[in-house]
Amino acid sequence: MIDGVLSPEETAMLRSLLDVVIPPSGDGRLPGAGELDLAAHVARLVQQMPMLRPVLDYGLGTLAQQAGACRPGGWAALSHEERTALLEEFTRSDQFFLPAFLFLVYSGYYQHPRVVAALGLEARPPHPQGYAMAPDDLSLLQRVRARGRLYRE
Amino acid sequence: MAETTADVLIVGGGAAGAALAWSLAETRMNIVCLEQGDWVDHQTLPGLSTDWEVRQVGDFNFSPNVRGRREDYPVDDSESPIAVSMFNAVGGSTILYAAHFPRFRPSDFRSRTLDGVGEDWPLDYRTLEPFYDLNARMSGVSGLAGDPAYPPKELPLPPVPLGKLGMTLARGFDRLGWHWWPSDSAIVTRDYEGRAACVNAGTCLVGCPQGAKASTDVTYWPAALRRGVTLRTRCRVREITVGADDRVTGVIYYDAEGVERRQRAEVVVLACNGVGTPRLLLNSRSARFPDGLANRSGMVGKHLMFHPYAMLTGIFDEPLEGYKGPTGCCIMSQEFYDTDSARGFVRGYSFETLRGFGPVYTALWGMNAGRLPWGPEHHAAYAQLFDRTASMVAICEDLPDPANTVTLHPELKDADGIPAPKVTYRLSENSVRMLDHAVARGREVLEAAGAKAVVVESPLRLAGWHLMGTARMGNDPATSVVNAWGRCHDVRNLFIVDGSIFVTAAAVNPTNTIQALALYIADTMKRRLATLFDD
Repeated sequence: MIDGVLSPEETAMLRSLLDVVIPPSGDGRLPGAGELDLAAHVARLVQQMPMLRPVLDYGLGTLAQQAGACRPGGWAALSHEERTALLEEFTRSDQFFLPAFLFLVYSGYYQHPRVVAALGLEARPPHPQGYAMAPDDLSLLQRVRARGRLYRE
Repeated sequence: MAETTADVLIVGGGAAGAALAWSLAETRMNIVCLEQGDWVDHQTLPGLSTDWEVRQVGDFNFSPNVRGRREDYPVDDSESPIAVSMFNAVGGSTILYAAHFPRFRPSDFRSRTLDGVGEDWPLDYRTLEPFYDLNARMSGVSGLAGDPAYPPKELPLPPVPLGKLGMTLARGFDRLGWHWWPSDSAIVTRDYEGRAACVNAGTCLVGCPQGAKASTDVTYWPAALRRGVTLRTRCRVREITVGADDRVTGVIYYDAEGVERRQRAEVVVLACNGVGTPRLLLNSRSARFPDGLANRSGMVGKHLMFHPYAMLTGIFDEPLEGYKGPTGCCIMSQEFYDTDSARGFVRGYSFETLRGFGPVYTALWGMNAGRLPWGPEHHAAYAQLFDRTASMVAICEDLPDPANTVTLHPELKDADGIPAPKVTYRLSENSVRMLDHAVARGREVLEAAGAKAVVVESPLRLAGWHLMGTARMGNDPATSVVNAWGRCHDVRNLFIVDGSIFVTAAAVNPTNTIQALALYIADTMKRRLATLFDD
């Protein structure tokens, strides 16, 4: 179990499922979600938002069951393309798992330092440094000023 | 220990309660404030960590129902298209607000006379003007003088930067020949009165670690405490007690340990917002007030007003640096503020431009908008969204309707067993038409600014930030709860100073007006101390 939330089997399956959802970019600039240690992030969020747990359990369980029906080795024996097809098929009949799962994945992936840096940002919290902003040229307001009073008493 | 009697007991330490406490404190009266939340430690705010965007949808969510903290109370808003947002802490919802700080316009106090809808307020803009100015100095308001949409006003600090995103949208308004102006913002753009200047970090909606944003825990409260006000946190008031003479005698509350306590007071002032105040009044039933305290008019909990919002997000080809700058403060447009009968609705709306999204929120928004697939196409789709979105909202004037209400829930309760509020609200036909008009005009602006696509959310559900009208002021005790200076018609030592006393909603953010009203009421109380309870 990771942080007492996900079993080792769930963790292994989760890592490969992460790469299905966000594979590495073609140019190699952005990593696949499975390369990042997002299982801990997922486990932490599930602990904070316990209502996600049954949805995650049901989705992972169903995918594992359907993978087992496809091939004796189950999910682990499927190719990337077969996993993608299985997820597509499952999410056509289930409306809850995918939004919850994508929330967990995206929220971890897009705050990861490697990803943030690859997006061209500094991988740091916004505070205390903040961001420099250049002065604005507000001469464009001349047209508004020229209209005169725009309010009623 | 003998039970003490406060000269003035304030319930709620948010925007209004803090301003009133500070103002009254110069009298040297014994002033006590009970606040159900606690102090917020600014060094633990989300903006200081990389997971700040995730915490915005979690433990710093606008909705008390999602946060579910001990100090929150649940709100049943299942019968409303707009969900209630608020925060409970020293500073109240100013901890999470955008600090967009426009004033009401003079015509907002005269909608019945000018446009035949709503009611006129029993006071006018000129009466509040010096208190708007005082609030600007106390809060440290930034802005640019000369806006032709307003009478001249005091703005102590220069405006927040518009940046590349703001200037892009400004060109859109300019191309259409429409009004736009840099927003008035309760954010210090230079070091001011011990507060450090804004660093454009863009985390305003999860609190400001810098202290640049004027939440009242960094503005009014430090000054009020220095003047001798007593602030007790984690104290939740259950009911207001009343004597045989129709005067309130104090309150019953639960302290931090959940122990029931009583606080006696000569005067009680409610500052609990437009949902919390009617909730407390309705829960304070007695033989003298069987329908709730100060409710002989039947108006307590009626006329709930939100601001119906439409949100439009433009997708652009070029990076906009939209993650920089104060989140909710950039440009205000009041091109469509006043009534024009040709539009098919009365009154009007403001446009407020926001910033872009951070990396996480870009993905979550893209997913919800159906513009971000998972799988092989994910990265290409994300690249078209990240730092290429600019959002704006239309904030529509809501007309007062007695059918829009706050009542007590028959079963739902908070952690102390106090009945929770239930909100029943519907959008009026006028609001629906106004929203449609705003969406069409907003789309024009974004396209004029260069957006290649526009995503619309209307009405925006998680937009119940502005809670108004549920204990409105007026001269007639039959149709209003408080008089022109905040004193309850039915109970002469009970005052209300929050958004519940608003008569109309205007089409701008209300906090500046809430605080100006609180300062005005405090000033009136001080001037009338010897005759406070007289006719």
